[in-house]
Parts: sequence; C-alpha cells; structure tokens
Amino acid sequence: MNCTRNDQGNETTLRIDGLLDAVSTSDIRPIIDAVVEDRRARVVVELSGLRLIDSSGVGAIVSLFKRVRAQGGEVQVVGIRDQPLAIFRLLRLDRVFSLG
Amino acid sequence: MVLVRIPGTLRYRDLAMRAVAAASKLVGTGDRVFDDEVVSAFGEAFNNVAIHSYRDRAGEVEIQIDVASDHLTIRLLDTGDGFDADAVRVPDLDALPESGLGLFIIRSFMDEVSYFPGSPNVLTMTKRYIAQRPDGGRS
Repeated sequence: MNCTRNDQGNETTLRIDGLLDAVSTSDIRPIIDAVVEDRRARVVVELSGLRLIDSSGVGAIVSLFKRVRAQGGEVQVVGIRDQPLAIFRLLRLDRVFSLG
Repeated sequence: MVLVRIPGTLRYRDLAMRAVAAASKLVGTGDRVFDDEVVSAFGEAFNNVAIHSYRDRAGEVEIQIDVASDHLTIRLLDTGDGFDADAVRVPDLDALPESGLGLFIIRSFMDEVSYFPGSPNVLTMTKRYIAQRPDGGRS
C-alpha cells in the first residue's frame, strides 16, 4: 500500500494505491489522524490505484468519513473500481459516497 | 486438492491470498467478479484466524482448496480460539460500522458457509459458478 497526501487550499487529496488490508491499514491510520487533526474541510480519497480492500481498510475510510463529517467537513471517494467497488457496494457505502 | 499450511499470522496473509487467487482461476470461469468475491471472502476468513483465533498465541492454519469446473470450496482449519458463528449478528450497515464486517462479507460473497468450532476449528466456504448466457440468462 502506498498513500500520498496532497493539500490544495482547503482540500486534501489522499491517494491510496495497492492493497488496503489488515496488514497495511495500520500504516494509513497516522495519515488519517493527521488529516483529522488538521481539520481539513474537504477530503478527496482517490482510489483508482487501489487493487484490493478488506473490512479493515473499509473501517479506516469509514473512520475518516465519520471524523471529518463530525467536524463539519466532507469526504468524497473517487476512482474506485473492481474489487474495492464491489466491497463498497456490498456494504452500501456507494450511497454514502455517492459512487453511483 | 490444493493444500497450504502456513503460520496463522498476517505476515503470511499475502501468500495465502495469492494461492487462493491462483486456485480460483483454475475454475476457469474467466469471470473477474467470481475471482474477486472468492479472494475477498478468503481474506476476511484469514483475518479472523490471524487476528481473533490466534490473537494471543502462535499457530498454523491449513488451507484446503477443492477446485471443480463449476465451483470452488475452501476450508480453513486452525487450532486457536473458536467462536459461535450463529451468534454473530448481521451488521447494521446504516450505522456505518468500522468493524465486525468480515463474516458478513464471507456470507455475502460465498454460496455456502459453515463453521464448526473445535480442535481444529473448521470454516468451509463454497462458491458456485453459474455461467451467464449471451441473452443475460444463466445456464
């Protein structure tokens, strides 16, 4: 898993590539914590390079969503496809993130 | 039968996932959704063994994979702590849970799932392949 953060104005883009699973989720938690602590108003999670996600990875993204939303911000997921999209649809997260 | 016996720790998760992904392709469906759902379910099952069953001790997991032309059966055997699968509730997805989703994913993506705690604990998952006809029906 590789995660990069890019801040532009009040928007932060997190690009997550590779595998976001029980092994790698612990690596992304500090990045999520930092985004929340910085009280970013808008967070875009870019997942076009995400190959596989499991329930641990979903938990991390849902945690980000809940915490940013609790601060009055918004989280958008873009670029998700294949296995990660199937998981999001199964867990009805496609409606939460307006994935269509 | 394909047989893999490895330590039941997350360090070996990727190896196990690759073995199952390769075995799923042996079914020969050419259907990415089929393969993705098998790998997704297995990943959750392996997580359960590594994180919960062997949470406070080391142990091995044996993975048995039966490949047929129209289905795939995976059995995971471990000697860690078992659990009562019937007591695991369906998650309230509207509440946006951050955990407790593994068994739901397994049951959703596989056609038959059984779990018998004991020594060893045995989780058996089967996924059948039903080919889509060109007209959208199933053959």
